This record gives sequence, C-alpha cells and structure tokens, in this order.
Amino acid sequence: MIPKRFDYYSPGSLQEAIRLLRQNGEAKILAGGQSLLPLMKLRLAAPTALVDISKLVNLSHIRDNGDYLAIGALITHDAIEHDVTIRDRFTLINDAVARIGDQQVRNLGTIGGSVCHADPAADLPTALLVADTRFVMEGEGGRRMVPARDFFVDFFSTAVGHDEILTELQVPRLPKRSGSAYVKHSLREADFAIANVGTIVSMEEDGKTCREARIGFGSAGPTPLRAASAEQFLKGRPLDEATISEAAERAIEGANPSPDVHGSREYRLKMIKVLTQRSLGLALSRVGMTGGGAER
Amino acid sequence: MSGKNVRVAKADELTELSMRINGEECRGEVEPRTLLVFFLRDELNLTGTHVGCDTGHCGACTVVMDGKAVKSCMILAVQAAGADILTVEGLADDDKLNPIQKAFTENHGLQCGFCTPGLLMTTLALLRENQQPTEADIRRGIEGNLCRCTGYVNVVKSVKAAARALSEARKESSQ
Amino acid sequence: MSTVLELSKKEPEGRVEDPRLLMGKGKYVDDLKFEGEAYMGMVRSPFAHARIKGIDFSKAQSSPDFIAALTGEDLIKEGVTTVMQNQWPPQKPAQRYHLAVGKVRFTGEPVAAILVRRKNSLEDLIELVEVDYDLLPAVTTIEESKKGTNLVYEDWGNNLSQSSDEKWGSAEKAIASAPHVIRAREGIARQESAPMEPHSTLVRYRKDEDVYEVYATVQSVHGLRGRLSSELRTPEKKFHVRVMDMGGGFGSKGAQSYPEPLLACLFSRMTGLPVKWTATRTEEFLEAASGRDQYCDITLACNEEGKIVAIKANLECDVGVTGTQNHMSMLSMWTMLGHYRVPNVEVHMAAYATNKMPIGPVRGAGAPEGCYFIERAIDIMARKMGVDPLELRRRNLVAEKPGKEDHIGLINGLIDRSGYEELLKWKSQVNSRYRVQGPSHSNLVAGLGVSYGGRSGFGGDANQDEGWGSEDSPGGQSNDWSSQGSADQWQRDSRDSGRNSNEESEGKSSGWNGSADEGGGAELDFESEYARVTLDRKGNVMVYTGSSPHGQGIETTFAQLASEELNVPLDRVTVVWGDSVKVPMGIGTFGSRSAVTGGSAVVDACRKLKAQLADINNGKLVDAPTNRPGSPTIAEVLEKRGLAELSAESIYKVGSMSYSSGIHLCALTLDVDTGKAKVVRYVVVEDCGRIINKKVVEGQLHGGVVHAIGGALLEKLGYDEQGNLLTSTFMDYCIPTSLDTPDIEVYHETTPSSDTLNGAKGVGESGTIVGYAAVMNALNDALSNVRPGAQVNLAPASPDSIFAAMAGD
Repeated sequence: MIPKRFDYYSPGSLQEAIRLLRQNGEAKILAGGQSLLPLMKLRLAAPTALVDISKLVNLSHIRDNGDYLAIGALITHDAIEHDVTIRDRFTLINDAVARIGDQQVRNLGTIGGSVCHADPAADLPTALLVADTRFVMEGEGGRRMVPARDFFVDFFSTAVGHDEILTELQVPRLPKRSGSAYVKHSLREADFAIANVGTIVSMEEDGKTCREARIGFGSAGPTPLRAASAEQFLKGRPLDEATISEAAERAIEGANPSPDVHGSREYRLKMIKVLTQRSLGLALSRVGMTGGGAER
Repeated sequence: MSGKNVRVAKADELTELSMRINGEECRGEVEPRTLLVFFLRDELNLTGTHVGCDTGHCGACTVVMDGKAVKSCMILAVQAAGADILTVEGLADDDKLNPIQKAFTENHGLQCGFCTPGLLMTTLALLRENQQPTEADIRRGIEGNLCRCTGYVNVVKSVKAAARALSEARKESSQ
Repeated sequence: MSTVLELSKKEPEGRVEDPRLLMGKGKYVDDLKFEGEAYMGMVRSPFAHARIKGIDFSKAQSSPDFIAALTGEDLIKEGVTTVMQNQWPPQKPAQRYHLAVGKVRFTGEPVAAILVRRKNSLEDLIELVEVDYDLLPAVTTIEESKKGTNLVYEDWGNNLSQSSDEKWGSAEKAIASAPHVIRAREGIARQESAPMEPHSTLVRYRKDEDVYEVYATVQSVHGLRGRLSSELRTPEKKFHVRVMDMGGGFGSKGAQSYPEPLLACLFSRMTGLPVKWTATRTEEFLEAASGRDQYCDITLACNEEGKIVAIKANLECDVGVTGTQNHMSMLSMWTMLGHYRVPNVEVHMAAYATNKMPIGPVRGAGAPEGCYFIERAIDIMARKMGVDPLELRRRNLVAEKPGKEDHIGLINGLIDRSGYEELLKWKSQVNSRYRVQGPSHSNLVAGLGVSYGGRSGFGGDANQDEGWGSEDSPGGQSNDWSSQGSADQWQRDSRDSGRNSNEESEGKSSGWNGSADEGGGAELDFESEYARVTLDRKGNVMVYTGSSPHGQGIETTFAQLASEELNVPLDRVTVVWGDSVKVPMGIGTFGSRSAVTGGSAVVDACRKLKAQLADINNGKLVDAPTNRPGSPTIAEVLEKRGLAELSAESIYKVGSMSYSSGIHLCALTLDVDTGKAKVVRYVVVEDCGRIINKKVVEGQLHGGVVHAIGGALLEKLGYDEQGNLLTSTFMDYCIPTSLDTPDIEVYHETTPSSDTLNGAKGVGESGTIVGYAAVMNALNDALSNVRPGAQVNLAPASPDSIFAAMAGD
C-alpha cells in the first residue's frame, strides 16, 4: 500500500528532467501516475527517484499538421476522448481511450504514460501501432523519432532510452475513404483485454475493393503486433464476409497469448479472430462518414 | 491552481507543502511517498475520504482536484501541492446537505456509506460536465466507484434526482 | 395487528444514519485515532504450505521505528488458545493458532506480527523480517484433499473436516422406478464477501482498570468479546468492544476469529500503547474468510406429472484450513430441498480441508448454494420434460399455510409484473434472428431463467409436516462427524455452539451465544436478540440493541418500530448499538436476522415499557409526549414515581426464524461469438412480510441480487498449483461495476410473519440466495439455442467456460 522510499523531483523544463534521469539510473518518469503508482503501491516497482513531468508545458497539444496529427505526450485520455478531430478522423484512437479504466483514471492518465508503460493488454499501444504512429522523444543528444514497429520492444519496455522523454506522437493522416475501429473483449468494461484488435481499412474509388488494410492486436505476446499476413491477404481484394473471415483466420499468425484466470490460450486465439472480424466490419461501416479519412 | 509546486522532496525528509482544500489553505509535512489520501486522512484529519483498496480500483478515495474527479490514492501529496481540492467535507453548508447529498438520502443511494464520499465527488464532477446525463451516461460515469451494498440501482436514481435538483436550482437562480 | 401494517406508511424520507455518512462524518474504525498510537503489521507467508524453520527479526529490530514483535510461540507461552471453531455441526478440531506455529497452511497466513512507530515504515519493516521456510506440497483441490497424500493437519490422519447425512424414504428405489430422472454436476467456486471497508482494529489497553478498549470491524461486538475472552482466557468484562460505523460485512466480519484484534490486545498490554491495524485490500483477499466452494452431484427424479419423487445428492466442500463458522454446507443441505415436498431423500455432505484461507459465511452462507443446486436441477428437469419451468415449480410447491408465503401467488405475481408473455416473445424474436452472419454482427441469443427460494424451508417446511427430516424419522444416520437431521436439534445445538473446541472459556460463550450476565432470564441464542428501551421525562426514547448495522438502516428501522409502538415522533428516538458496555449482550447482525430478532426484541421491550407506563398511571396508557387535554405528560407520570426514566429490557426469542421468499426472473443475452453474457432485465417478486421501510428492503434486494450476478458470472478466487492466490486485487477478482448489471425491479406480495412481533421476515440475503439460479438458468436457456444439450453448471460461468460449452468441449 505504501511505496518504497524515493526522492521526488518536479523539474521546470524538459532539459532539467532529462538531466535528472541521466543522473539517476533508477529514476522513473511520473506523468499521470495511473499505471506506475499502482505498481509502486504493491511494491512491484521501486524506483529510487521520480521525475514528475506532469507540470511541463507544451506537451499537451492536439494539432493538425496536415500530413499528421501531432499529439503531445502529456495529453490526458479524457482530453483525447473529447477531441472532435480524433473522434471523427482517427476513430480507433477514440474507441481505445474510451475503454481505458474509468473516468477518474482517464482524467489523469496520459497517452505518453500509457504507451511508455507498454502493457501489451492496454488499449492505446495496439491502436497506435495500427495507425503507424511515429514516436518523438528527446534526450541530451537531441530529438529523434521512432516508428511504431520499433517502439514497442517487450513487456513493459519501449525504445525510449532511460534518459529520454517521449514528447510527441505523430499519427499520419488516414488516406481517403478510410474507416477505423478498435474493439476489445474483456470480462468487465474496464478490465484489461482478453483480446483487443484495431483496424484501419482504406478503400479504392469503387468503394468495394480494399486498397490497404491495417490490422493489429494486443494481449498475445510481449508487444502489440501487426497481422501482416492478414493485411497482405486483403490488399486488392473486395471486403466482404468471406474475405474478412479469411483475414481473421490469418490474423492470429504470430499471436502467442498466455493463458490466465480469464481465458485459456485457445479461447484467446479464437477471440482475436472474432474481434478481427468485428473490427474490420466496424471500420468498413465507418468509411465515408465524416472524416473517416476523407479529405476536407 | 493556487500555491506553490513542490520542486524537490527527498526520500528521508519531511517536505512542507500546501494546497487549497474546500476553499481553505491547508499546510502539512509529508514524505514524497505519502499518498494524497493519507495526507488528507492522517495529516489533516479529513477522514471522510476512504481507502478501500490498494490498486486504485474501488474509487472510495475519489476527490475533485482542479475540477476533475481523481482517485486520491493514485496521486502523491507532493504532486497535489498547490492544487484546488474538494472533498466530501466541503459539500454541505454547515450541516445543511447540498442538492447531491439530499438526492442520495431521499433515494436511498447509500447503505453502509463507505463508498459514498467517493461517489458523491464523482457525481459532483459528472454533473458539472453533463447536466442532463442519461442512465447510460451515469452508469459509465460512476464505473470507477465500486459499491457492494446498493447494486447501483438507487445510486443511479440518486444521481438522476441530483441532476434534476441542480437543474431546478439553476432555473430558480436565473429568475 | 392492524397498526403494524398501517404505520408502514410513516416511513421517513431519508435514513437517520444518512447525514453523517453523506458529510463524511462517519466513524469507521480506521478513522479513529488515539494519541501516540502505534501501528501493527502482519508478516504473512508467501507459501500455501511450508514448515517454518526460523524467524529473524534482527534487521527489523535495528530500525528506530521498531517497537515489538510476536510469534506463534509467544502466543503459546501466553496461554492463548487455538483459533476458535464453532461446533455446529461438529467439525474436527484444527490445531491452528492465530500466528502460525510449526508450519503455515495457507498463502497469507500470518507467521509474525510487528509493532512500529510510524505508519509509513510499517511495510518497510515487514519486509525486513526474514522467515525461513521449507516448502511442502500444497493441497489445492478437493480431489487432492480426498487422496490424503498430503495432510493439512497431520493429527487428523486424513483431510476430512466434517460430514453429514440426511436420509428418509428410499431415494435409490424411487429413482430407479421414476419416469424422469436428471443428473447434473453443479458448483460454485470460492468467492469473497469483499465489503468495501477492509478489516480494521484499534485497541487501547487501560492498565489502571485492566480493561481492553477494542474497536473492530465486526458484525457483533458481543461475538468478538466472547472470542477474545475465550482465546485469551480472560473474563468478558475485561473487554469493552465497540464499532461505530462499518463499511459492509456480508459475513466476513461475522463469526470468523481473526488474529488481529487479539494480537492488538496483546501488543497494547505489552507496550502500553494504543495499537492500530488496517488490512490492505490484498490482505483482505488473502485472509478474510471466503465462502461457497461447494460442488454437488445431484440426481432429481420426477413422476409422470412432474412431481418430485426423490433427490439424491453428494455435496463436497472445500473449507480451506477450516473456519470458525462451519455450518454453511449444512445449510446448503437444508435449502437444497427448497419449498418442495420431497418424499425420498439421500444427501451426503463432506467437507475437506485444503491449503486455502478459512471458509466462512458469505452473504447467504450456504443457502445460495443450496437454492442454486435445486433450482438449477428443476430447470434441467423442466427442459427434459418439455414443461415450462414456472409450471414445474407450481406443481411442486406446497400450498400456503397461514402466516407463510403464498408460493403460487408469488409466481402469478411474477407473471403479471414482469410481463412474462412479452418476455417470452422477446426471447423468441432474438433467438429467431440468431444465425451466423457477416462481420461486425453481434450474434446474440437470449434466455430467461427463474428461481424460487429463500432461506426458509430448513429441511423443507413441507417435509417437516410429513415428519421427514426429524430426529425420529427412520433412516436418520449419525456418526462422529455428522449432524442431526432436524430443525429442533439445530436449535438445541445452537445454544451449545461457540464453545472453543479445546477449552471452556471463563466467561460465557462466543459464537452465537451472547452472555446473560445481567438482565436475568432467558439465554440469548441465534433465534433471539436483546433490546432495552428507555423513556425519559422529556419523552426521549433510547433503544439499545444487540443488532449491529453496517448498511441495513437499523438506526432508522428500529427507531420506526419504537416510534410506532410508543407513539413518539421518530426524531425523539435514538438507536444505540455497537458498544458491549452500553448494550450488555447481543447476538449481532448477520444471516438476515436483525429485523426478525432484533426488531421483535425492540417491539417487546417497548410493549413492556408501555405496560409500565400504564401501571404507573393506574391503567391508563399515556401518549407520550403530547399533552392531550386531560392526560398527564410523561414528565408528570415519571415525577409521580420519582423516576428519571423508565426502562424495559427484552431477550426475545421468535417462534421460529422467519425469512423472506421470492421468485426471481432473469433475462439475459449471450454473445455467441465471445461467450459474454449480459443480464438485461431482472425482476424480483418477493414476500418479506411486513415492510418496515420499503427503500431499505428494496436496497437489500438490489444489493443481494447484484452480488449473485457477480457470483454467477464474474467472481472467482483463483489458485495456481502451488496454492498461490492469483486473484488478490479488485483487478483480478471482478465484482460487478455499475456497467455490469441492469436496473433490478422489485415487487412485493407480502404476508406478515406470524413468528415475529413486527411481522417482518429477514431479507438481507434473499437477493443473493435466489439470484444465482436465476442467472444460471437464464444462461443455460440461452445456451440451449446454440447447441442442444450445452450446459454450464459451474459458477462463475466465465466467457471462456461458456464458449467451451457451446463448442461441445
């Protein structure tokens, strides 16, 4: 219930925060604290110092930069849920944050904190991987950008170096005639996923043929994964019941869910298939709706 | 926000901080690892905010911080330095129950009362955001507050009644 | 009594206890503070079964915050007894102390307690205590326990804790010749009470008076007083036990004897400091007595008309290291006969020890299990026979007796109030739409389930009338570890219960016996409760009750009863409880008993008081405190006798324990692709006798039903092969949130009880008792549309298990 001892810092600048991290190899970043503090209270995590970046400015923006949407790492889940641009044009991200925890958790939890915590059963990592998000981080060496495929490295582990700080997420604009969806199967609404799948479908002008499909799932390995084989299969094919079903069969290649109290391995694999079908269907139904990806 | 942030707090020292609670400036001394809920309960003797779990799931510790419902067991006291906080003790006017509290007692929205302060604060924040919540809005809004006594049935009724009461009060004051 | 029913119109708008709770002014144990208090922490075993080789406090002792430590050996030196066990029914004595001696028997069992100066350093110092263990193989299932290869208690020779048989007629014969026979394996996994307030205790030993001032989260201060007295071999009058507000109990704060209050007493006496302890939620999960964990192989046989001719069942229970209270499985045996006449019965029950925390009462305490076993079986039979489930029940429920439930009336009430015909149509529509469709289509099937029951019908009133299930009936068996069959014997046993299995206590009793040091006359037992009512010159009434509310609204309902009886305004009445000095004796609040026994005692005491008033005023009953022309005021009346106040006491024993019954209907949808079930509508038609306070009654039913929905679909204490508890947080042990259950509709068709003075029947557990079967029957009804014969009979029915049933695994 009471964490182990630690020093607490609330630096006034990003550079100061980075310096503090460099000085203490066991320090951790504190943003919303909604993932870190529960671990510290159970003493499953015991950093000797916390660097509180929650009060840093210029990290809580949502800006449409044309080619991509720039999301500041400190923006809360609640703010994302209420953002109209994200809801209309990057719907799967809205779907994902809506399933995170509860209102109190969404009020404090940040997108940066969630992705850096990198729990593969969490909602945002999967959704952001599907959206080919670029992750911008800053360290003493300057700024660098890491694509989603390289960002999630292992359970609770990302490409962010110990003395780097994630500052921004860049989500590329969806192509014309796109729709997206994120669906989750869990025992209760707020529970961690038994299975979770995000999809983005982008259609040809005929509205029937799939130009590109992006499919990703979590809760089936140390990191969220893209279903490459299923994506490849759908490319250039019509999107209908049969092809979606076939894609769902292929989606589980590479999936390796661990059994736990809520589901056996076999059950979890079957749920990935079911959710892939549902997510694709939902994404398809959203094509052509306001901003499903359409140019303004 | 009011007051000053804590810039540095060392593990083995007590750090002074202050925050505004129910409109009053409150001071105290804490370790960095002191959770906000324990600062409220142990340092300031505001025991109306309760601790029901150790993983941030039950919501019994909910307070309103800078206008948002938050779980005070999931925040360090030092993080809350300088913040504007409302606890259950700040709702009633002396001993006169506020409209939300009245709605809860009139609709039997509490039984053992342990989860109640947290639910009241969540309700306060919910109704500020959404003045006419549907049943679905309410159930989603209070999802982070666990109750073992009521089965949520009369809690939902109470929140609806509170929304109506606040709406009436707004109409009256605008006349 | 016409006034009894009329006055229910005078219900107050809100409860008396509400304002302080709404303002955050409640006083839960952890809110209380003494100057200079020290903090107690428990060193708990990380292993389910291991020998303790040694405990080293040296690292912890080197901290300036360390004050003292206790181990099991210290307890033995102090002469502290083993953990109390009730003996109703008889269970094998378990040589287990509040701090483990020699070996640990469940993950989380305390091996040592420490006392520290600062709250923040408690967990630091707990971690510094080093315990050396030698692992032993853990017994984690009933199967393993039965094998007996590894013993939880070596001196037992096997792992059987208790067993019992109930037999009348000839079930085997009846089954062999019955046209309709069904068999099922049913069960409910281990589940928790999980009240929102964790256990807590605060003790201050007052040396000058040699008295322990004890605050604790208990459902009976007298029960704790009795246990402490017995286990510490100290007279009861040395303990002043109090509780002011309590955040729920649901059984877990009832009879189970926990280490912490006793250890806090010892520490406080040793050091002269007040001692505080509050469980973390993890500790709650590890240590609080949990319930259910019962499995039943049932055979139900019916004749051509669908009338039950026989029930044969084998019940097995996992009781962990055994609990203080052990009657749950026996209660299951009784309630599994429901309200049905069963002419041939053969039920065998055996309870087995394992390396898990103690078994304990969890809302319903065995009755939900029993009701589930029979009500699920009835539905399986109904499906086999092609008879509507409500109709099959109609055929088997006995006709009403005066003062008892109108079973058929309740069923008819359900059909009306729920719009049963419409629901059948809805179900039909959903199911006809069900077919495998394209992507993003949720394939839903629907089911309806009913369940009828209540805690009453111990052994079946119907069967009692026939002389079955009584001590004298032929075929009754008994052996060293079996119970006697009848309700009469149960009543006799309950008076003897609570004696520590090893030692006689100095003071009186524990468990269900309150003490009767003063007040003279009847001894308290489970079917009675204590009350004292006083009336002063200003017309203020104080009601002292042995009941102990923790959400049930007793400060309001008992005040209502006194207000009605004495004709004083409600705000002149104050209910006092939770103080073993102000209320010298009592049984407490659990088992749906407060309105029945406590309420009756209050009414009885009020009537005795009125008789005194009449007596003083020469036979004229005075309306207090209004000054009607021509009649003296209370003040004048008391002045006449030179009295400051009048007082009357009651230890009232009810005719028989009276419980509500009800019929529940659950409408449920099932997502065929994921196995996820959702309760979409729930209707209760119930008979709780006289309704003292409608909102309070309905609130109890709402909460009880939602508890059952959680038990049927969500909740399970999970273990791995080494006996580690996998579900020790609210993340892993899933109780219902506001998004998991619908509105619960409650309707009343009541018949006042003739066994209680206020006409009420106990309702606190009814929602839970009847709810499991309603949900499981609805689920199985839905499943039958997916694959004929698909069944899930083990609760909780997780999506995974439902999915497997659909697939035919």
